[in-house]
Amino acid sequence: MKSTFNTSLITLLLIVAPALVAKAQDTRIQMSSLDHLAAKASQTVDVNVDERLMKLAARLFSDKDEDEREVKKLIEGLKGIYVKSFEFETEGQFGAADLEPIRAQLRGAGWTRMVNVVSKKEGNVEVYLQFAGEMINGLAVLHTDDKELTVVNIVGPVNLDKLAELEGQMGIPDLGIESPKPKKKTNEQ
Amino acid sequence: MKDDYLWDKTGEPDPQIQQLEEILGTLRYQPKQLEIPEDLPLPRRRNYVPWLAIAAGLLLALLAGGIWLSTRSSREIPQRQAEVTPPPVIEEKSPAPVESKAPERRPDSRKEVIAINRHRPRVPTPVLSKHEREEALMAKEQVMLALRLTTEKLSLVHKKTQNTNPANQIKNQHRVG
Repeated sequence: MKSTFNTSLITLLLIVAPALVAKAQDTRIQMSSLDHLAAKASQTVDVNVDERLMKLAARLFSDKDEDEREVKKLIEGLKGIYVKSFEFETEGQFGAADLEPIRAQLRGAGWTRMVNVVSKKEGNVEVYLQFAGEMINGLAVLHTDDKELTVVNIVGPVNLDKLAELEGQMGIPDLGIESPKPKKKTNEQ
Repeated sequence: MKDDYLWDKTGEPDPQIQQLEEILGTLRYQPKQLEIPEDLPLPRRRNYVPWLAIAAGLLLALLAGGIWLSTRSSREIPQRQAEVTPPPVIEEKSPAPVESKAPERRPDSRKEVIAINRHRPRVPTPVLSKHEREEALMAKEQVMLALRLTTEKLSLVHKKTQNTNPANQIKNQHRVG
């Protein structure tokens, strides 16, 4: 009787555990609450690339071209990239209530706000990371300006070093995160 | 009492009973050793060891034969190909500049052809269907757009944090020092 109970308990754990782990590791942010802003926006960017599409896209990146190889390395292992960006002609087209569902998700599920930049000119940018041990398992960027709202969500192991390596390549802007040379550094100081 | 003799042999014996005792006494139990006749067939315990040894030997022989055949066939295939494929065909297939550049390496090129004919495990090259390719192209564009946007935002963050960093560094230095 006892052994039957133990067996059934172990079986139940084996069934439930992967689901719990998957749930815990899910770093995708639901952005459908922002869809209604598309009607007000003058320009909308909506990117939905799931794991299947990511793998398909990765096959088109050439291994011979250095730039493409770098992008391929970066996106390998990613489970999805989701972006919603709205640009408005006038101010006040969205409010805190519109962002609340996104913020609510970022408050929980292991997200950590790493950076919060507040700028009167360029708006506010918040960078959230989700860690799985020492690895970054998800990235979220929330940019709000008077006339712009952008939410970026990268699901999966994000390599920020490789992302930095992409700067200036294939139309990707230069991040300027290169470590400064010692001479320059001394001059600046 | 005559009856007592029947119970414990006391009292007066009854002659009839005595007579019966004498007659039946010959059939009385007499202890003696068990004699087993030599010609009695005994059930023997079967010994499977020789049969198992034979079976194992056969199995090993079969395995060895199989391995030998597979290695032999893999060695023979290129040889057959080499015999069947005439050299002029290889010359026609190989591009002219290669021939002119390295005419001495013809045997090597033939070896290459032979190597191709070997049954080596080939990695299947995945071929995208038209629909899949369109999807992949769209996805690639989307990925690039998303990466551009992400790096733009991170760039903005970096610029802002870089502007504030020197002051913080100085403050930290003061705090530590």
